[in-house]
Amino acid sequence: MIESIEFRNFKALRQATLPLSRFTLIVGANGSGKSTALNAIFALGRPEKMPFWQVHSAGVADTAPVTVIAKGSEQGDGFTIKVKRKGRNWVGPDGRTAGHRRLTDRDRPMMALRSARLFSLEADAIADPAQLARWPQVPSMELAQNGANLAGVLDRLRDQNPERFEAVNEQLGRWIPEFDRILFKNPAKGLLEIALRTREGRHRIPAADLSSGTLIALALLTIAYLPEPPAIVCLEEPDHGLHPRLLRDVQDALYRLAFPEGSKETRDPVQVIATTHNPYFLDLFREHPEEIVIAEKVGLEARFSRLSDRADLDEILGDAPLSEVWYSGVLGGVPVRP
Amino acid sequence: MKVAYLAESSADRAALAILVEAILGRETEPVRHAGLEHRGWPDVRRVLPAVLKELHYHRDAEGLALVVDSNSSPPHLANHEPPNPPAAECRLCQLRGIADKALREVRPLPGRPPLKLALGLAVPTIEAWLLCGKDPHVTEAAWINGLKARQMPYSKDNLKEWLYRTTRPSLAVETEAMKAAATRLSRDLSAIESLFPHGFGALLRSLRSW
Repeated sequence: MIESIEFRNFKALRQATLPLSRFTLIVGANGSGKSTALNAIFALGRPEKMPFWQVHSAGVADTAPVTVIAKGSEQGDGFTIKVKRKGRNWVGPDGRTAGHRRLTDRDRPMMALRSARLFSLEADAIADPAQLARWPQVPSMELAQNGANLAGVLDRLRDQNPERFEAVNEQLGRWIPEFDRILFKNPAKGLLEIALRTREGRHRIPAADLSSGTLIALALLTIAYLPEPPAIVCLEEPDHGLHPRLLRDVQDALYRLAFPEGSKETRDPVQVIATTHNPYFLDLFREHPEEIVIAEKVGLEARFSRLSDRADLDEILGDAPLSEVWYSGVLGGVPVRP
Repeated sequence: MKVAYLAESSADRAALAILVEAILGRETEPVRHAGLEHRGWPDVRRVLPAVLKELHYHRDAEGLALVVDSNSSPPHLANHEPPNPPAAECRLCQLRGIADKALREVRPLPGRPPLKLALGLAVPTIEAWLLCGKDPHVTEAAWINGLKARQMPYSKDNLKEWLYRTTRPSLAVETEAMKAAATRLSRDLSAIESLFPHGFGALLRSLRSW
């Protein structure tokens, strides 16, 4: 598991360390480095996808070192994985264990970083029909960053893991009781689209006619029930567009990934890093302040701090809702107007 | 009898309904569109008047059952009961005061009897009630003694671990475990009545007076 990521001259993260847990929820003002951090985690495993001209901090010389370093432990053995910008190129990821053995792509921490996925779900993309491969005409199991290809992923899930597909149907019916089943259709050769069946009347509602929240809920559920999810999942505002009463279900879906034992799931835990601005969602994590990271922008610099590191947290919170104390500005992570 | 349940989650509501039916000795009927939820303390304090007024004016509920967790606040005690004055820090006493005020404010409606109310205080959380009889160390007295000694006998996480086998149960796991535990307790309420005499006892006495 990655326990921290150190940034140097990386956009707003001039000199910042992001503490991470098996599940981490980052809250903070707009522009406080939350998305930058998620993008960096995603790019750590594939720095070739980081455009070099966009990453160095404002006001810092083009030649200044830009580095992202992940530190963590795997089965009791510490590791460090570093990428740095050198001229126009990125070098790395270069990983070593605490005992200085060089990590290869076959070592778990490197594999985990390479498999990391960042999701910033968009209803329109989720609703789009999936493109099938030319031959054989099967969809990919890979969900795109914006949720595109959901139809393909669900189709594969139905064929290869029917019990998981049924679990998604069952959960969908609990989250949004209006619907009871995911349906498929080939609108044209090489395309696959989904629809939902209404519980009453068994009407078929095509994805394009579903609400944004329904589509995002379906994508989140699908990620949570993947048989082999990525080892690291980053999610931008997974609560986006969802009713507050559904947020406990969203938390369950994310915890299903991060703490599979709590959902009687038998696969390996996934490291989940999510962002939110939603006070109701934040309140669900009050019992686990070690999972909450406050992102703070001070001038041009962004910083991160784990909520549980605040020694007087219990005293400060009393019996007030965490969200209200956060909103007040006492905990930081709020927009500061001059 | 039509009873509305106000709880922190659908799992709590399901467990509470089982306990209430066991105390009343009969099945309750669901209240139309009454999937009432609050977001814990202190939110419940603010929504209770609205819930009571809605139930009085617009729903067919005959009674409302509500349980809150005491967490680290002082538990409800026998000397908080009338004719003694309510305790300012006790959540159950606070909710009673809020409910009394809200129900005094409603206009009487022809043919509408006053809404019955049953409030309970789970010490420190509803998981403690549901572990009753399974773990002899989990009792209201143990928690009260722990508060006095400033050395808690167990944590809320311990209670979750013991009931759900995880500190982060999904709602589905929570619902299943809570319903099973509430069903077990409902067969014989004497243990929970004697081991949680104040917080559960308050709920039980109110319901038996309905």
